[in-house]
Amino acid sequence: MIEYVNVSKSYGEVHVLDDVSCSIPAGRTTVFIGPSGVGKSVMMKMIVGLERPDAGRVLVRGEEVARLGERALYRLRRRMGMLFQDGALFDSMTTGENVAFPIRRHTRLPEREIARVVAEKLDLVGMPGCEGKMPSELSGGMRKRVGLARAIALDPEIVLFDEPTSGLDPLTADAIDELIVSMQRRLGSTFVVISHDIPGTFRIADRIGVLFDTRLVAYGEREEIRRSADPLLVEFFSRTI
Amino acid sequence: MDRARPHARPSPVAAALAEAGRWGIFSGRVLRRAAGGPPAAGRVIEEAYRIGVQSLLLVCAIAVFIGANIALQGYHAFREFGGQDLVGIFVALACVREMGPIVAGSMVAAKAGTAMAAAVATMRVKGQIDALEVMAVDPYRHLVLPRLAAAVLALPLLVLFAVACSVAAGYAVAVHQLGVSPATFLDNVAAYTGTRDVLFGMAKGAVFGVFITLLACYQGFASASGPEGVGRATNRAVVSICVVCIIVNYLMSELMYG
Repeated sequence: MIEYVNVSKSYGEVHVLDDVSCSIPAGRTTVFIGPSGVGKSVMMKMIVGLERPDAGRVLVRGEEVARLGERALYRLRRRMGMLFQDGALFDSMTTGENVAFPIRRHTRLPEREIARVVAEKLDLVGMPGCEGKMPSELSGGMRKRVGLARAIALDPEIVLFDEPTSGLDPLTADAIDELIVSMQRRLGSTFVVISHDIPGTFRIADRIGVLFDTRLVAYGEREEIRRSADPLLVEFFSRTI
Repeated sequence: MDRARPHARPSPVAAALAEAGRWGIFSGRVLRRAAGGPPAAGRVIEEAYRIGVQSLLLVCAIAVFIGANIALQGYHAFREFGGQDLVGIFVALACVREMGPIVAGSMVAAKAGTAMAAAVATMRVKGQIDALEVMAVDPYRHLVLPRLAAAVLALPLLVLFAVACSVAAGYAVAVHQLGVSPATFLDNVAAYTGTRDVLFGMAKGAVFGVFITLLACYQGFASASGPEGVGRATNRAVVSICVVCIIVNYLMSELMYG
């Protein structure tokens, strides 16, 4: 579904990714974990074409994202949804208008049908009946839920999560993790998550990639990573916990 | 668009040229979208209403005092050689050709321009522009084009208001305070300015609208992260707009009357 082939990226003198290669399978949840500043967000942004690799290729459904023209890139993006760190909801719109935004832009559904889809998506993320609320009235966890409702508004094939539990209290973070698991089961889409939350990662991931010092030092099934005897992984997980 | 990243400090000239180049690329992207078709009418009307309402009272108030001051200064300058009755010419030329467009442009820059820069910068800082991109919505077309069209529509009308208010204030001061004959004042205004001057002033307003929007939105798009980034973007927007509008005003006057 998504492939990184020898991907490297630097900003001036600062290297953030170095020769990263991996293949993200369809219909499963893959989590990339690592300390701050190791290029996790950059890796995710390459999938949607917000960042380009300096070397190597990022392929989505066989298409090299960096080589796509504007139209082809927008066509590809319509198959994706992304939950940003703080939801990135539009402040001037209500919750309902935020969720309806991609539907209005990319479909010709009548307003009544749009309202039905919005209500359904908000219900799915555990925020029923909050269409009229403004983003400023929502807590951090609620904004993430609404952001997720917007990300899945068009039933995308790929859903990306940028640090979905950062800045949340442990209980809310657990609730968001559960939501991600249940949503993935329900939608069957490909979920790609970047995180630095170790317990949450083991709760939601089917596959885990560990980024450390600009490199992807481990990538495999959840249990494989959990049981790994690699001293670096053992130290990383034990330290972070 | 790439955001500013830390790098070795270049010379001020090189930095200014690089900034101008980035603005040129940004403007090229916007104008390329404009060639692809007009923005949604609803969004243009919404923005035009916002620009007009935000700036109208201010434009009129400033124009009144500018017109009054020009009449006062002109009267005393011309009186030195017995030409105080010519103050109408001075008021008409200054207000219709120069001060009307400048007042409208600078007030829109101060009110609507800063609001645009702050709004776009906030969207950049909060990841909302990236969110638009990921939702396959072109941010240049969605955020900049409606504002550009609205400014191009609203500015010429604001210039008209500024011209009317400043000339009326100049008339009031000249006639009621300084004792100039109303007929003389009006004859001089009519003799030295015409529809062509008013239309050219409005054209200046439209050009200012283009620069105000492109500079304000560019600074918003290029904003660094955090509240400081928004403040800096707003500040840079208003300074760059003022400098560019004054230069553009001179160049257009040179082209028309030089």
